[in-house]
Amino acid sequence: MRFRRSKLKDRMLEDFDQAIQEHIETETLDNIERGMSTEEARYAALRKFGNVARIKQQTREAWGFTWLERLMQDIRYCVRTLRKAPGFTIVAVLTLALGIGANTAIFSVVQGVVLAPLPYRQPDQLVIVWQKNPSGRNISPSYPDFQDWRSSTHSFQDMAAIGWQPYDLTSPGSPQHLNGWQITTGFFKTLGVNPVAGREFSAEEDQHGGAPVAIISEPLSRDRFGGSTPALGKTMTMDGVDYTIIGVAPSGINFGGVIDVYTPLGQGDPITVSDRRTHAFVAIARLKPETNAAMAEADVKVVEKNLGALYPKFDQGLSAGVVPLKETLISDVSGTLLMLFGSVGLVLLIACANVASLLLARATAREREFAIRSALGASRSRIIWQLLTESVLLSLTGGVLGLVFARCTVRPLLAAVPGEFPRAENVGLNPAVLLFTLGTSIAVGIIFGLIPALKTWKANQQSSLKKGGRGSTGGHHHTQSSLVVIQTALTLVLLVGAGLLFRTIRHLWNVNPGFDAHHLITFKAALSPEMAKTPQSMRSAYQQLIGRIQKIPGVQAADITTLVPLSGQDNEVPFWLGPEEPRSIAEAPRAVSYAVGPDYLRVMGIPLIRGRFFTGADTVGAEQVIVIDTALADAYFPGKDPVGQSLTFGRVGSFRIIGVAGHVKHWGLGNTGASNQKQTYTSFYQIPDEWLPVMHVDATVMVRTQLNTASLISAVRAAVYGDGNEQPIYDVRSMQQSISASMSSQSFPMVLLGAFAGLALVLAAVGIYGLLANLVQQRTQEIGVRMALGAQRQNVFQMMIGQGLKLTLAGMAIGLAGALIFTRVLSSFSHLLYGVGANDPLTFLSVVLVLAVVAILACYVPARRATRVDPMIALRYE
Amino acid sequence: MSTKESDKRIELLQGTLDLLILRTLLLGPAHGHAIAKAIEFRSDDVLQVEQGSLYPALHRLIRRQWISVEDGISENNRRAKFYRLTARGRRQLVVETSKWDKLAGAIARILQPAEPEGEA
Repeated sequence: MRFRRSKLKDRMLEDFDQAIQEHIETETLDNIERGMSTEEARYAALRKFGNVARIKQQTREAWGFTWLERLMQDIRYCVRTLRKAPGFTIVAVLTLALGIGANTAIFSVVQGVVLAPLPYRQPDQLVIVWQKNPSGRNISPSYPDFQDWRSSTHSFQDMAAIGWQPYDLTSPGSPQHLNGWQITTGFFKTLGVNPVAGREFSAEEDQHGGAPVAIISEPLSRDRFGGSTPALGKTMTMDGVDYTIIGVAPSGINFGGVIDVYTPLGQGDPITVSDRRTHAFVAIARLKPETNAAMAEADVKVVEKNLGALYPKFDQGLSAGVVPLKETLISDVSGTLLMLFGSVGLVLLIACANVASLLLARATAREREFAIRSALGASRSRIIWQLLTESVLLSLTGGVLGLVFARCTVRPLLAAVPGEFPRAENVGLNPAVLLFTLGTSIAVGIIFGLIPALKTWKANQQSSLKKGGRGSTGGHHHTQSSLVVIQTALTLVLLVGAGLLFRTIRHLWNVNPGFDAHHLITFKAALSPEMAKTPQSMRSAYQQLIGRIQKIPGVQAADITTLVPLSGQDNEVPFWLGPEEPRSIAEAPRAVSYAVGPDYLRVMGIPLIRGRFFTGADTVGAEQVIVIDTALADAYFPGKDPVGQSLTFGRVGSFRIIGVAGHVKHWGLGNTGASNQKQTYTSFYQIPDEWLPVMHVDATVMVRTQLNTASLISAVRAAVYGDGNEQPIYDVRSMQQSISASMSSQSFPMVLLGAFAGLALVLAAVGIYGLLANLVQQRTQEIGVRMALGAQRQNVFQMMIGQGLKLTLAGMAIGLAGALIFTRVLSSFSHLLYGVGANDPLTFLSVVLVLAVVAILACYVPARRATRVDPMIALRYE
Repeated sequence: MSTKESDKRIELLQGTLDLLILRTLLLGPAHGHAIAKAIEFRSDDVLQVEQGSLYPALHRLIRRQWISVEDGISENNRRAKFYRLTARGRRQLVVETSKWDKLAGAIARILQPAEPEGEA
């Protein structure tokens, strides 16, 4: 219909000029017939026809559709006027580009991390099933428990288990450390993801004694076999065992770390896989369509309760919890991200207020232009439409620049976050983000454009024509002043937030972690397959490794540990004191347990409070000995000497306590609350034969050295692998990096909030400056009169400064109220604030001071200009 | 946008013109100049139509499908567009005419002073 109409229109308008000519000529002929002279006849015909241009315009309008032409006209007009005011245009566009760019950047992160669905089939059905310990914390289930859940629940379509299992690949190609998962059959089916080539593990493969098979990731297959299909059926050697590749997994699977290789979980070491006390697996499940997480949780809870009755020793006191997969992956950051998204929205509001302010000042100056246009017949709505076109044009230009800005900042921003940021690979300028930017730009253009446009609507055109260019001003300043007040208030809110987080980080850096974190480097080193054959050869391999590293010049001390503080790793083992075994292991206390070499305390700089630490004699066969930390000692041996007492780990036996070491902040510098603080140390060389193959994969070398990381690692390579046997060295980190990473949940929002607050401060300063400069200009004549009547320069200066400060103070008062609300939000996130109260007076005071100083500086220049007004010139100005 | 005010103007002026055009075309298809002439002639030159304003009205009527357009040759052998009343236009003319009659009647009643009964 519309199409037909536009075709008809084209046909009608095509030879319209000619039709008019025909008409006029016919009329001329008629006139000549009536006896007029040729010339007279033509003039009469033209007169009778009317204004040709207007008729053409009206005819075109009869077809509608002129809004597009009118819009083009408006845009052309805007481009012309904006080009004539390059200063204004550049400032406005840059302000908007910063505001929109910052919002686009943060939104792209929010979109990629929080909003975008996970890349699996019907991802909302995917959940993680946890066990709940007696204190209500989610913990990993044991594999037998998982198997019982899978067979006895009825809320899930599919359920699979995952266990972390690194491998050292030795062939084909050069040795490489691989991140691996042990998975049960049905893992890919649960996710709803098909292997790129080959198949999943079969039930026969997923059990003890099954054929050694592996599924590898697509990148690894490309790397080592030149593609996914060629990789099928090939053999690769990991940890000295030949695995047949039966499938290739797509690279999209990511639960917080890229996985290179998958092996059947059922073939895992029986010491972990067949034991109900080893809570080391993750259960992922797909809900049936008719159920939800809460109903499924009730279902698993019943099953878990029955397990508690069946296996009171292992499962009594345990419960279950079902959490959506997405929540599990991003819950750490989604709150922070949304808070940042809100904050960056405030920055955009401030930017909008600035541009609106600029537009207002411009509208004042252009009142005559509008008056003339309106006198010439432009309707008010037409002028307002024109103003809106101008502001939206500005904001769209700002939006395009903002996109460029966001594109340049997002990647470095995420890369700068210490530690791992979940789903970061998913962040980019995708269509959803572009749509957001477009929508924001248009909305912003309308919002900040509407204020001056409506002001202009109200302005009395006739009076401004008469005023000969000075324009009515009072109302504009009122609006502009309100904008400055709002800006100041919002800036204060952001500054307070950034200030609190800054103080938190300061506090955290000053926290004593319980060890000396300087000049400490950690890494893992693979053993060659021959060395890993027997527990005894493993022990001597590690002893040799440490011995060689200790001899490197520049190395002060080095030793081995299975658990690194502040690394986010966890190894909590149930224990009891005395000979009496508790009724249920689940209800027994647990200790964070490190198995370390004899020199560990010296490497770490952890003080030994009592007794002795390990020696080279504390090996298998010798009496089992243990060192506890002060937290465990204070909790279980208050006022007594624990040395000589005994402590039992269920599966390893009884240990004699030989010493007490200082407490270490294992979970994070700011973490003092619910996490387990009790710690024990056992001798690495006393790990029983059956446990060593399981535990040695966690073995980490700690080195205290003045060398930097790169030269240490090359020295280690030279010292240890000099004879052509290149085993991979991986996970190289300095302890300072680990500390930064442990603070990333505070430092990431602090850096961003700080940047937003800085931006807001600059924008607000520009806003205050702009308002005052404008005021001074408008009041030049009044100031001149005052000075002519005897006002001192000082009085004028005070008057102008006072005007600016009055607004700033009003803004700060409102901002303080807003900040109190904002700090409630901040403190509602656990672990975000540390060592500083939400209403920290020091932060509030310094923020108010900073804002006041900036406001005074912003007022100073225009106020000085006011004092230089020459009364004579000002009076003649009229 | 800006059409609101000018629409009002068009409704008043053009509405009448639309009616006159439709009525003229009831007699048969005609080209633009002929329609203008016919209106002037039939109103005894009382209605002096600004001839150009005929064209926006004609285009509007075409858009509403009250008249159709076809190419033809005018009386003095020139190519011209001939406008023809459509069935819809015919129906519209009835509506418009009765509307006009009502309006004219109402205005006439207001303008004519009440006269004493019986004297008419």
